Amino acid sequence: MTIINILFGLAVGFLFGYILTRTGITKYPRVMGMLLLKDFKILKFMLTAVTSSMILFYLLGDLGLLKVVPKNLDWGKLVGGLIFGTGMGILGYCPGTMAARIGEGKKEAILALFGMALGIFIYALMIKPVKAAFLSSEINGDIFIQLGVNRWIVIIPAAILFSAIIYFVNKKFSDDKKNF
Amino acid sequence: MNFDNSKEWHWFKGGILVSLLSVATYFVFAAIAERNYPFGITAGFGFIAGKFGSLFEGLNENPVIKRFSEKPDAFIEFFLLIGLVIGGYAASKLSNTFSPETIPVVWEKYHGKSLVKRYAFVLVGSILLGFGAALSGGCTTGNILQGWAHLSLGSIVAGVSFFAAGIITARILYPKTGGGNDNN
Repeated sequence: MTIINILFGLAVGFLFGYILTRTGITKYPRVMGMLLLKDFKILKFMLTAVTSSMILFYLLGDLGLLKVVPKNLDWGKLVGGLIFGTGMGILGYCPGTMAARIGEGKKEAILALFGMALGIFIYALMIKPVKAAFLSSEINGDIFIQLGVNRWIVIIPAAILFSAIIYFVNKKFSDDKKNF
Repeated sequence: MNFDNSKEWHWFKGGILVSLLSVATYFVFAAIAERNYPFGITAGFGFIAGKFGSLFEGLNENPVIKRFSEKPDAFIEFFLLIGLVIGGYAASKLSNTFSPETIPVVWEKYHGKSLVKRYAFVLVGSILLGFGAALSGGCTTGNILQGWAHLSLGSIVAGVSFFAAGIITARILYPKTGGGNDNN
């Protein structure tokens, strides 16, 4: 079983890293360009993947082939999200792209890899107070249960909204412009 | 600046391929690691932190260390991380974009050549990234690429927080390029 796990991990990582690097998602000017609201290639890439996955996952779910398990909402999502976003702005890329950047020859990403692991280690050391402060209560993350509606009543408008955002930023902003 | 866009794939192609990869990995993860979630990244880093933590006897019962050092999905995502490095290497070599770089060119232009300064920012940024990803239950991959696709309330809040804090931080670091209608 171990060898299957290793090969599966390597294969998925390889494909994901290949796509990220080939599409230009790993580039520092692209990530910072998005956060400065000037370069939206990464946003278009992300929302395309999200819209396509959303429809595929819920279609396969309706066919009984899989079960989507949404992440619940607690204060950690907000506070952790703000901490993560600050880190992403300071660093200029996120964890997945960081690993692909190491392969591209970007030396500082190796330091970032250890920093990221250290951040999780610090989190482990602080888990007691962190848990008491942010993770003590949660609400069900299933938006359809919360709203009490048929799932497609949410999925279809969400797909239209994501597509509209892609269409708008694609019309308004060029991917080839140098923003820095 | 080596920022050659002509060799890049279109965002639509990349996005569709990632979503197909997500769906495929869901089924394999369900089969071999008893989890019903597509691939993420954070647990791979967690595996490194978990293995490091399990060297200390006092941390053996720590729930975070235990989860990341013992669960099979963290083991798989550690190798996923290694695969990412190889994938990035292969893609950059094949498209002739492999470029050893010490500091991002844009950073150097606005913040100077100092290695110490950049590395200090890298270290602080990545520690925040690790802590934040652990607390919010995933990074951009787990909470946006997967979590938004599942319309999870938790992931929607986490992902919006990523952007909100990221946008503010970027404006502080690059006040001139970020402000107003500067289109240069």
